[in-house]
Amino acid sequence: MTATTTPPLVKRLTGIGWVRSNLFPNVWSSILTILLLPVLLYSGYRAGLFLLVNAEWEAVERNLTLFMQGTFPRDQQWRLVAQLPLFALALGAGLGTASSSAQDRAIEAGLPHERTSPIGIVRRFWSVIGFVLVLLYFASTANPWFVVLGSVLAFLLGFQIRGLPARFRLYGWSLMSLLLVAGFQVVSGTTGRAWLVTAIVVGIGAWTLTGSERIVPGWRTWALKTGAVIVTSVLVFLLYSVITDPGVGWDKWSGLHLTLWVSALAIILSFPFGLIMALARRSGLPALRLLATTYIELIRGVPLIALLFMGQYVALFFLPAGSSLSSISRAIAVFTLFTAAYVAEIVRGGLQSLPPGQTEAGQALGLTPPSVIRLIVLPQALRAVIPAMVGQFISLFKDTSLLSILAIFEFFNVRSLVHGQPDFRVVAHAETLVFVAVGYWAVAFAMSRESQRLEGRLRVGAA
Amino acid sequence: MNDESTQQVYADATKAKGDAIIELEGVDKFFGDFQALKDINMAVGRQEVVVVIGPSGSGKSTLIRCINHLETHERGRIVVDGIELSEDIRNIQEVRRETGMVFQSFNLFPHLTVLDNVTLAPRQVRNMAKADAEELAMKQLTRVKIPEQARKYPGQLSGGQQQRVAIARALAMQPKVMLFDEPTSALDPEMIKEVLDVMVELAEGGMTMIVVTHEMSFARAVANRVVFMADGEIVEVGTPEHFFTNPEEDRTKLFLSQIL
Amino acid sequence: MTTPPSPLSTRVPLWRDVRVLRVVGQVLAVAVAFLVLRWLLGNLTSNLDRLNLGLDFGFLSRPTQFQVPYHSTFNPRAPVADMVLVGIKNTFLAGFSGIVIALTVGLMVGVSRLSQNWLVARLATVFVEFFRNIPPLVIIIFFAAAVFTFGPFPNLREAILVSAPGSSSNLVILSNDQWGIPGFAGGSPLFTGLIGLGLILAAAGWLWRTRLNERTGRPHHRLAWFLGILIASVIISYLALGRPVSMSWPAQSENRRLIVGGFALNWGFMSVTAGLGLYTASHVAEIIRGSILAVPKGQNEASTALALSGFQRYRFVVLPQALRIAIPPIINQCLNLVKNTSLGTAVAYAEIAALTQTSIGNGRPALQSLIVMMAVYLMFSLSISLLLNLVNQRFQLVTR
Repeated sequence: MTATTTPPLVKRLTGIGWVRSNLFPNVWSSILTILLLPVLLYSGYRAGLFLLVNAEWEAVERNLTLFMQGTFPRDQQWRLVAQLPLFALALGAGLGTASSSAQDRAIEAGLPHERTSPIGIVRRFWSVIGFVLVLLYFASTANPWFVVLGSVLAFLLGFQIRGLPARFRLYGWSLMSLLLVAGFQVVSGTTGRAWLVTAIVVGIGAWTLTGSERIVPGWRTWALKTGAVIVTSVLVFLLYSVITDPGVGWDKWSGLHLTLWVSALAIILSFPFGLIMALARRSGLPALRLLATTYIELIRGVPLIALLFMGQYVALFFLPAGSSLSSISRAIAVFTLFTAAYVAEIVRGGLQSLPPGQTEAGQALGLTPPSVIRLIVLPQALRAVIPAMVGQFISLFKDTSLLSILAIFEFFNVRSLVHGQPDFRVVAHAETLVFVAVGYWAVAFAMSRESQRLEGRLRVGAA
Repeated sequence: MNDESTQQVYADATKAKGDAIIELEGVDKFFGDFQALKDINMAVGRQEVVVVIGPSGSGKSTLIRCINHLETHERGRIVVDGIELSEDIRNIQEVRRETGMVFQSFNLFPHLTVLDNVTLAPRQVRNMAKADAEELAMKQLTRVKIPEQARKYPGQLSGGQQQRVAIARALAMQPKVMLFDEPTSALDPEMIKEVLDVMVELAEGGMTMIVVTHEMSFARAVANRVVFMADGEIVEVGTPEHFFTNPEEDRTKLFLSQIL
Repeated sequence: MTTPPSPLSTRVPLWRDVRVLRVVGQVLAVAVAFLVLRWLLGNLTSNLDRLNLGLDFGFLSRPTQFQVPYHSTFNPRAPVADMVLVGIKNTFLAGFSGIVIALTVGLMVGVSRLSQNWLVARLATVFVEFFRNIPPLVIIIFFAAAVFTFGPFPNLREAILVSAPGSSSNLVILSNDQWGIPGFAGGSPLFTGLIGLGLILAAAGWLWRTRLNERTGRPHHRLAWFLGILIASVIISYLALGRPVSMSWPAQSENRRLIVGGFALNWGFMSVTAGLGLYTASHVAEIIRGSILAVPKGQNEASTALALSGFQRYRFVVLPQALRIAIPPIINQCLNLVKNTSLGTAVAYAEIAALTQTSIGNGRPALQSLIVMMAVYLMFSLSISLLLNLVNQRFQLVTR
């Protein structure tokens, strides 16, 4: 006779069971729950009442443009409208290139890999998407809707680069860099030294793309590469001599636009500087170590405000008489120097975490010290510190609020413009504060979630 | 150390297998106040397999690390294939090109695939084209019997496989001498054999090898000479038979009694 | 083969000699740095000459000529150096209070995040994610606006006076720009010295009980002894010196514009302390949570196998190891908090950065004032870094 088998009791906690074990597991816990629950519900009720019913969001509604782009000249607004889709396109292209090459390598190695899906992206960036929806809700015209829609479409278009065969993908990074530069210059104009920035980006692209793998590296390839760089630079220069567009320089930027750009520029510009400092601090040459350490410890020992004051009050003393730097240029320079010291410490941590056997193996193979650093040390060290770098970027983004103390009208300080208007002198302070706080929170929260996710992936992933 | 004995053995080596490819004369190495190598005199002939044994702290790793200048010797001469190791960058680079090293902890580059690990040095140092380098790499990977792992990452391989990739990586530079620093000490027992088999094949193929190891089976199988080091100096040198059946010095006998 | 070791038999060309290259590399770096510095300083001196300004620090001995807000005892004719001392004191006060808040709240929230109670854990997570992602300046301004400027408290003239039942003096005074709390009046250097002595005796008692416990195994009760000795010494000195200190209750001044007696806390101080305290608490909570999670799981299993209770497991096994991991980053956060007190400039709290900005605005030489300000912060940073190093050395797990 066969024994009757009953299916195992699957104890999934639902309803009362869940409540009992999660909210009332023991005496102390139950007391806490009983105390906290009504407080929580009441606060939620009051907050909801404030946000949705009582608050006068008019201050935000009427000044939405002020918050977003500050006192940007209204007749040049088309530039900002053009900038957003360009960046969305660049972001899509970059993300597409990165995820597809990662995917290819994983497939070849036989590793599991998850496809980046649109649903996943929405879930990860819900705070930013939510904030954008709030902005659209406050918008009084239909234009913002079109801009957002256009940007989303541009992003999806750029993302399609994923489908291209592998040999085109190298162009993906070049495309992304060019689009980023174009987005910057569509606002800041093409006069002055704008051509130099483009020339550098194009030059780097030309350098890496010329000289196919079939040609043996030798003096001929170097000559070819140098020639390509020179030719492209001259072409860029000529192009920029023809297109003269004065644009709106960053001295006139304000609002969220300025906040985002100061953060982005500071992190990009500080990176090479910080990298060199980190290598110098770890080098075997005592003079280099001393110089780097002094710089890093000095900058890290003082608050950012002190350096911003230096930039505002005394920077011009250190420059030849008659030179002038706008307050925003000086602010960007200070942020760059400040972030470079912190980036240096982060990278130094990454360098220290690398087992010394890696450099030894490279040396034993006959690689020159620069090659060892370039091919073996840096790829590993930088990959290891990506979460910390994202954290630094988040800090930088939040620290731009300090520019308000220098009377620069970044996102936070637009409030003083709003409350200078006769209608809003004494009202709506809470509303504008909440709005600005939510704006910062949405971006910072999304980035910190991404960084946590990356940290988990990097630890679990293959070597 | 018995000078005549070294001379005799060196003379044997010279006679037996051709002239010396590595010479160490009066080499001293200090770490601060601690002397790690004391008056090392040794020569290794072409196609000779020398196994270096000794207790930990005896300086055997330091010795072979001095040969490719991962450590700098303070006194004495080290000459590899006619190139003298000095503060001359070009000499150091040349010596490193002619020597290949296999480490105890493999030291594969985790961010590169196995194939990229092996082709890195030929492409960067010998300026080989990518296709040629990959062909050479596949040949070496076949030689160590794991060509199918070429596209995998080191983290996906077992210890024995990783060490064989490390050997292939060193071989891809077509070195004249292979240096092994306790290549099997970090491996699980069941994987030691596959690595030793590769090393034996290498030796039988005529590669000049200096191997620091505890694996006596390997020494007995292919070594031309066994060198015993203790406290930074060479205590005894001899053929494997002489060594294991009839050691002369007390320190040698003590050590052998502990490991055999 | 047995010839004495010879020096290099071939001459190494200079441009390939490793040692030469090392020296040349350093010389180049120093030269570049030197040239850059020389250019900067050259511009500085020529600009200063052109504008007829000096680079001396004489301004420190000249009168301040402006009033420091909420410091009625500060004389505007006092030298600038006194103003700097006021700034240092206020930076220290805000920093210290902020750290106390950050550590207490941070510890509670950090442990709560790992609680079994879903509600408690979720609320702690919301706290951390909320405060971590908002700029500290926004939090400070929020406190300033919500509690003080647009808050429920009236002007100081009609301040809310909370008195203890049955007495005529005030326990607490609440207004929209100052709060008064009870303080101590009197006191002498002798009294403070005796309290210091009591502290040392208490510390000695702690060490004695620890040694006793190691030698004989008797429970040390060292915390009780420490507190007991401390409290006893305070009481004895208090009585022996004839009650040198008394309670000072806050009261409104004659013209109802100031708070006299007790401690007067101004709105700048409270906004900065509360704002930075909660902001840093969120970071401390994260660090503590991470450090508890970083203790290997095997420790929990081993403790349970040894029949230690949950509380004992935390006290003797988990927390000591977690704290070792947590202390360096927490000290780092404390340093950040002290640096962030410079945000007091936004709420007119008279710490060193705000005072520097005001004094520059009043015509003091900018470069020298900023150098003084940075020196103050460097002094704080260095002390805290030294503390960090001491702690690191003391707490390192002894390994082979």
